Amino acid sequence: MAAADPTPDMPGPPVSTREGAAGELTLRATGLAVTYRVYEDRRPRLRDVVAARGARPSHREIEAVRGVDLAAHEGDAIGMIGHNGSGKSTLLRALAGLLPPTAGDVSAVEQPVLMGVSAALRPAASGRRNILLGGLALGLSRTEVIDRTPEVIAFTGLHDFIDLPVRTYSSGMRARLYFAISTMIRPRILLVDEALAVGDDEFRARSKDRVDELLADAGTVLLISHSRKTISTMCNRCIWMHEGAIRADGQPEAVLDQYLRHTRQQRR
Amino acid sequence: MVTASQLRPLGVTPPLGTYLGQVWHRREFAVENAVGELRSEHLDTALGNVWHLLNPVLLIVVYYVVFDLVLDASRGVDNFIGFLSVGIFTYQWATKAITGGARSIVANEGLIRSLQFPRALLPLSAVIKETVAFLPGVGVMLVVVLATGEGLTRSYLAAIPVFALQFLFCAGAALLAARASHHFRDTLNVLPFLFRLVFYGSGVLFAVDTRFPIFEQAWVQVLFLANPFYCIVSLWRDALMTSQPALHPGWLWASLTTWTVVLTVFGMLAFRAAEDTYGRG
Repeated sequence: MAAADPTPDMPGPPVSTREGAAGELTLRATGLAVTYRVYEDRRPRLRDVVAARGARPSHREIEAVRGVDLAAHEGDAIGMIGHNGSGKSTLLRALAGLLPPTAGDVSAVEQPVLMGVSAALRPAASGRRNILLGGLALGLSRTEVIDRTPEVIAFTGLHDFIDLPVRTYSSGMRARLYFAISTMIRPRILLVDEALAVGDDEFRARSKDRVDELLADAGTVLLISHSRKTISTMCNRCIWMHEGAIRADGQPEAVLDQYLRHTRQQRR
Repeated sequence: MVTASQLRPLGVTPPLGTYLGQVWHRREFAVENAVGELRSEHLDTALGNVWHLLNPVLLIVVYYVVFDLVLDASRGVDNFIGFLSVGIFTYQWATKAITGGARSIVANEGLIRSLQFPRALLPLSAVIKETVAFLPGVGVMLVVVLATGEGLTRSYLAAIPVFALQFLFCAGAALLAARASHHFRDTLNVLPFLFRLVFYGSGVLFAVDTRFPIFEQAWVQVLFLANPFYCIVSLWRDALMTSQPALHPGWLWASLTTWTVVLTVFGMLAFRAAEDTYGRG
């Protein structure tokens, strides 16, 4: 699959609206493609079995991301929009180096940190234990994690609930915890998978502050969101994913409008 | 302004030395993960962590009732309850550690897909978990053995290298099993039967040397000596029980050491070779 032209009908190249953006290159993907092998939950038809010469055609290949070229810079806050199943989350995982790409490659100045809503630390363990585990997995030492734990707990605002098992948390509380853990090491590249959607206004304000801090610190943030408000307030650039490829890339307002027009057309 | 030189590729397995360094650097994660899982395992039961101790004790009682009292299968073993305790505790440690390691990649897909860390930590963490769970068992084992009249001798010191060898053996086997079940989930279904078979072939329940005349034959002895689980169980008994001296201690040590070295090296290499594919369902 051919990579989408980054700016099909955008006026001019992507321009930063945020001060200090478009600094040095921090993250780059070239020809990135991810194909899943998915086991199908259906009985194969006799015709399929014959076609496969007796082998049960039990899995199907799903091209979730097909040939994405992307470059992100210091101070870039990139919003990602697209329909469900358009490959946004898969792209983010591949950009984090967590999902091995089928083709193409990803390089970055530093290991990106991904935070997702489904991110499973240990649901049976307490919030505090998850902070410790997450910090250790991110490469901090035990004393570093313990030093930062009060600050992390303060950020989550979960004071009374921090020693309860995470499985008893609401989705908003989990999002707070994951966001706090992911930003504990002040990553240069933070990838956020829809996690902000479930938070309340207070958490959204806190996380915007944290994101701004990272950006001011020559960081790059990529976030998937279905909220127009989140993208237009937090991002200086927006990418529209469609059927595993980039359909548009540019200033948030312009891309959001384009996406909205497309969605309306499809509904008709 | 845009310099690509400082970018480094992601998702590429680092060289072996760097990889091992990263594993060592994050060893606390493996330990913490293991302890956390152990703690939460029996959280919703009334007896809680006591189950880690109660499980093997009940198992020994069952085997004792069935094999000694009902079937009278303890012929030739002087201290059958001590014999059973050492056999079952140490054998269970090995099988649980290897099975846990085999499951670790499949079971932690969510963790793999959200955090970047050397994946070898997961099977190693599973082995650490079962090792920590085994420690109270060591206490029970010693109490049983001493209470049933075995002497406390200097040979107890031999338990330390057996422990170390068994730990490394399990780590290597767990890494290998983790890779195998990553490619073929079916491995997880086969392992319990494999371990059940080996259970009977390792002399956990009965002394293989006295019951069977066939054991007089050299090739049968070689077969048993080549079985690392037989070596493990026999060496533990040799160390802790004066009434159960091993037949060929030298060969047992040599066999177990060889297995351990080969499995640890080969297991780590084989696991790391597929590092960049873990997490793709």
